[in-house]
Amino acid sequence: MIVGEQKPFEEIWNMIRQYRRVLVLGCNTCVAVCHSGGEKEAHILSEVIQIKASSTDTSIEVNHMGLVRQCENEYIDDAIHNLQTYEAILSLACGVGVNFLSQKIGSIPVLPGLNTTFYGSVEEAGVFAEMCVGCGDCILHLTGGICPIARCPKSIMNGPCGGTNNGKCEIGVDTDCAWYLIIQRMKALGILHLLEEIQPPRDWSKSFHGGPRRMFVSHVMLNKREDANK
Amino acid sequence: MPKEILDKPFMSSQITTDDNDKPVYSPCRYECPIHTDVQRYIHLISNAKYEEAFETIRSVNPLPSTCSYICHHPCENACRRGKIDAPLAIRHLKRYAIQKATEYRKKNRLRPKQTNGKKVAIIGSGPSGLTVASDLADLGYGVTIYEKFSKLGGILALAIPTYRLPREALKEDIDDILAKGVETVLNCEVGKDISLKDLIAKYDTVVVATGLMKSRNLNIPGIDGQGVLLAIPFLIDVFSNDNREFKLGKRVVVIGGGNVAIDVARTAKRLGSDVEMVCLEAPDEMPAWSWEVDEATQEDIKINHRWAPKEIVRKDGIIEGLVVKRVTSVFDSNGRFNPEYDEHITDFISADTVIVSIGQTVDTTFLNDSPLIVDKQGKLVFNNHDYLSNHPKIFYSGEIVTGPGSAVSAIAHGHKVASSIHQRLNDSKTDLSFVEIDKIGDIPETVRNVIKARPRISISLLDTNIRKKTFIPVEIGYDDASALREAKRCRGCGGGAVVDIRKCMACMTCKRICPYDAPVVSFYSRIRQEYCQACGLCVSTCPSKAISMRGMDVESFRKDVIGLLSEKNSNIQTPPFLLYTCITQGLNPEIPQDIKVVSLDCLSRLDVLDIITPFNYAIRGVLLLPCNDDCKYHGVDYWLKMKVLHAKKILSSLSIPQDCIQIIFNNKSELSQNINDSSLNALIQRHKEGLQ
Ligand SMILES: Cc1cc2nc3c(=O)[nH]c(=O)nc-3n(C[C@H](O)[C@H](O)[C@H](O)COP(=O)(O)OP(=O)(O)OC[C@H]3O[C@@H](n4cnc5c(N)ncnc54)[C@H](O)[C@@H]3O)c2cc1C
Ligand code: SF4
Repeated sequence: MIVGEQKPFEEIWNMIRQYRRVLVLGCNTCVAVCHSGGEKEAHILSEVIQIKASSTDTSIEVNHMGLVRQCENEYIDDAIHNLQTYEAILSLACGVGVNFLSQKIGSIPVLPGLNTTFYGSVEEAGVFAEMCVGCGDCILHLTGGICPIARCPKSIMNGPCGGTNNGKCEIGVDTDCAWYLIIQRMKALGILHLLEEIQPPRDWSKSFHGGPRRMFVSHVMLNKREDANK
Repeated sequence: MPKEILDKPFMSSQITTDDNDKPVYSPCRYECPIHTDVQRYIHLISNAKYEEAFETIRSVNPLPSTCSYICHHPCENACRRGKIDAPLAIRHLKRYAIQKATEYRKKNRLRPKQTNGKKVAIIGSGPSGLTVASDLADLGYGVTIYEKFSKLGGILALAIPTYRLPREALKEDIDDILAKGVETVLNCEVGKDISLKDLIAKYDTVVVATGLMKSRNLNIPGIDGQGVLLAIPFLIDVFSNDNREFKLGKRVVVIGGGNVAIDVARTAKRLGSDVEMVCLEAPDEMPAWSWEVDEATQEDIKINHRWAPKEIVRKDGIIEGLVVKRVTSVFDSNGRFNPEYDEHITDFISADTVIVSIGQTVDTTFLNDSPLIVDKQGKLVFNNHDYLSNHPKIFYSGEIVTGPGSAVSAIAHGHKVASSIHQRLNDSKTDLSFVEIDKIGDIPETVRNVIKARPRISISLLDTNIRKKTFIPVEIGYDDASALREAKRCRGCGGGAVVDIRKCMACMTCKRICPYDAPVVSFYSRIRQEYCQACGLCVSTCPSKAISMRGMDVESFRKDVIGLLSEKNSNIQTPPFLLYTCITQGLNPEIPQDIKVVSLDCLSRLDVLDIITPFNYAIRGVLLLPCNDDCKYHGVDYWLKMKVLHAKKILSSLSIPQDCIQIIFNNKSELSQNINDSSLNALIQRHKEGLQ
């Protein structure tokens, strides 16, 4: 799930203060689960903006609403006429939603209300933890299901480094050493010997470094595309 | 019986629920023959909204005061709290609400808006006849009641002892009905003073609601002669003719084990006699309600169980006593009443008076010169669906056709018959009967184990020594504090959380936060109603605003708060405070004018949003007054603190001082139980000053 965090209010305020009619648009999927960008948070934020506006004699009309997801055509299409009546949209979706909506909405600015932070799990109620960076070339079968790229701050492939400290990372006692976890886990699974195998260098071109990615699922595609069979 | 009230929607906002998530009645409402919305009026009592509570009761019950004294309260027997500690004292709370609304009621009798030109005669003014009259008057019919006696109310006025039902209470109910324009002809026995035929000629429809006014008698040696009385005529003499000087003998034996026998025995006791009862049944087989039996034994009435009358022994015509024989069984293997005796085991109870109270039957005087017929077994002929008799203009209503039961069942039957009449006379398809829906399941054991026990607040009863000698009402009602404490025990069954499946994205928040494990989440959350205790924690934490409550429309609650905040009060110079409080605080109405009070069932229903929004309306601060150590829910304080912290963090980005939001934790050491507690106000004042 994509995790995001609301931007500091000052930053949000500086983005929107110049507009007279603003919609705070929640996204009711991933970022709602992490209580940052769902319809409820959109409602709260719109109230906070109004309080700020009246305390600074700024006249802004603020409304709020939520879409199921801001990263799909149909959900946006259903609401587009309403969205287009605003001067600016403050989106509480992850970056995907902000990009996608910007692409569709025409000449209205879509502003990010969240900092999109990571793909994470819900460790427990209210605790979200990063576990994957979407590198495009998964090696979790070789590391006992624990990702060194996402969970080791140095993303090293042959850890632990010298900074490992009683199972914790040198960057801070709150961070587990990913390689410590990997080794413990592989030991328990009886596959520690896998680490002795020499691995080819990683293909980072499959990751973001190869440019923005696209995926085609041809059997559900409505339109033929030249680039789809590449 | 206005239709709108009967099928009142459970929530005003439209939400899409899971197909398995149908609204259900709380067991109290389900078991009530007229489906009184018990939960709602108990809730209104806690909120000091007595007039609304009264209207909730009156909307389905034309005899609310009467029922508040003598109803056999099937609601209480069904109350889910019964499995935790003890059922809510629903009847006593009803009485409290109605008494609180007395003045309002006198000024607000409901008058029908229009007449429809049709005329109906009702024979008999018992609860069922009165209900038909009330309903038909509401619908615009011209209604006339013909009553044999000089008083309206049937058994309620004639025979129910005044120490259980003060007649002023009945009068309030009857005044309500008369105010609807219902006319009455008293001292008029149909079949004797006027014939049914005459009535049919004069009216569009006639309703026979003459009850079971004739007492059954025994057929044993010695029964004929002086000193033997029958229950109903005896009670009528004492209570309808106000004959408190009634001369009974010194030793009275009452034969029978039902509620009427108990009334007879307790009445005889009050007239100064020593009283014993003889009944066929063992204690747990008696048809009388257990509480009535208890009250009788408290008054030193001895009950001889499993004895049957064999012979009344007389000397020179004067009764010496009653010979009784052993009852070996009361019911046969099919559970049917079929007593068996051992004639050889006998006993003798000395007495000079015997009162027979073994049941009532139909007095058929009304059949004289009427087109009504009885079948071969001598039974009245009628249709079981709409209670139309063999004559197209005559209906039956009440115990004459249902057999013996309770006042509230007679009322329910009256509603049914009124509805049939309306359909017939108006060719109307509108069914005015109640919305019948399922009832909520039992509280699962896992939930029962976490609910805090709170003893039932009993009402006080008149001292037994006084009771035995007078006809003063036995039950003494609640004072404010006790009523509030009792009302607060209600679990709000069936009024809990409900998920809008279009909005839910199965985030698990509700499941994690629920203290009762009510939500089951798969593709979306479904909140198991029998688990839900209606605290509202999930409502306030759901990130997609997908949860509402059946007992409280969250959206309209928010609108109301905004409405209150937008109200201008020219008396107040400075901006006010907003105080959210748990209704059960029962705040002193003299709370300072610059505090706007919003009370809700539990502060767990409040969201961060509800704490932030008010700052959009020139206020000085938000105060939150939960009920604390007395709270019937779990974790409320903790979650409230968390929400307040979050709200403060948000507001700090607006440079609004952190202490603009304050939780007023009052513990018992600071406050007494008294609801009009000035110390509570002092506490609020202190917190308020802290904010200025
Ligand atoms: C002693 C006693 C105690 C009871 N206590 C309780 C209790 O505590 N709680 C409870 O819920 N229920 C109680 N009941 C039961 C309750 O009173 C009855 O269920 C209810 O009164 C039945 O109502 P009804 O309208 O069918 O008839 P009734 O109340 O019997 O009314 C019939 C009316 O018809 C009139 N009438 C009869 N014949 C004629 C005629 N020919 N012409 C004109 N008028 C006529 C009668 O005078 C009477 O007024 C008690 C009953 C008795 C007898
Ligand atoms: S707890 Fe309240 S709602 Fe539930 S059955 Fe008892 S009175 Fe009715």
